[in-house]
Amino acid sequence: MAKLDNIIHQPARLQIMASLLALDPGEQVDFVYLRKILNLTDGNLGAHLAKLENAGYVKTEKTFIARKPRTFIKATGKGRDAFDEHTAALKKIIGGPKK
Amino acid sequence: MDISEKEAQDSLEQIQAVSIRTRKTIAASYDSAMLMMWGLIWFVAFLGTHFFLGWVWPIWMGLSGIGCIATLVFSWSQSRSANPVKIPAAEKIGWRIFWFWSLLFVYIFLWLSILKPLHGIQINAFICTTIMFAYIVTGLWFKCYYMVWLGLGVTCTTLVGFYLIPPSYYCLWMAPTGGGSILGTGLYIRLFWK
Repeated sequence: MAKLDNIIHQPARLQIMASLLALDPGEQVDFVYLRKILNLTDGNLGAHLAKLENAGYVKTEKTFIARKPRTFIKATGKGRDAFDEHTAALKKIIGGPKK
Repeated sequence: MDISEKEAQDSLEQIQAVSIRTRKTIAASYDSAMLMMWGLIWFVAFLGTHFFLGWVWPIWMGLSGIGCIATLVFSWSQSRSANPVKIPAAEKIGWRIFWFWSLLFVYIFLWLSILKPLHGIQINAFICTTIMFAYIVTGLWFKCYYMVWLGLGVTCTTLVGFYLIPPSYYCLWMAPTGGGSILGTGLYIRLFWK
């Protein structure tokens, strides 16, 4: 039975996961770009990503492009499953499969 | 963890909104420039064809050639710049898109040599609808559904132009409805999806 996920349910983390799951599996998004889409501050996004990463829901990758440090984030398989279960639980609460 | 029905509904709506915003922002980064350029090329080429009928081939071949070179340069520079989204096998996908469009143009010329259309408007309507078919296929393949709607829309305007508009006004009709639609879609994405 689908259960709500305490880690994902927090509004900022819900948005982060929703945004990452809008990408295809394997695709990674730049930290600055994600911050812009979600309208979060550096610190806020970083703190929530750390929680999601500790839970194994996202993976961050630090790299250098044109000598500038960049951080890319992607949802893991575990994160995708947890998010799907969370949304299934939300749909169950409102009483149907609609989204 | 217990939450109310209202809270669950709000969360689902938030998920939907963020998901759409993410896809739109990504589309605005990649697709809008190409659409605006090709829309402008079609617009100018159709207007040029209407006002300088004797220059049809130089206008279309010249502008299409410029467009193809600009597309290649843009794609090459994009692949080397700091893209906000890293796509696995992006280079492989890019080459597949390149070969798909190259082969499509080869086949367009093959089909034209087989079908032997009688007049210029037939050739033009054939090329426009074939390219829009490719837009629809590309849109379905990459889940860019606005390209599907754009392809269907311009196909309809081409058919209206072909069947209902007097032949001497066909190009004047296609400039805003064909080129203008593509240009307008690119502009709309650039302005409102970022």
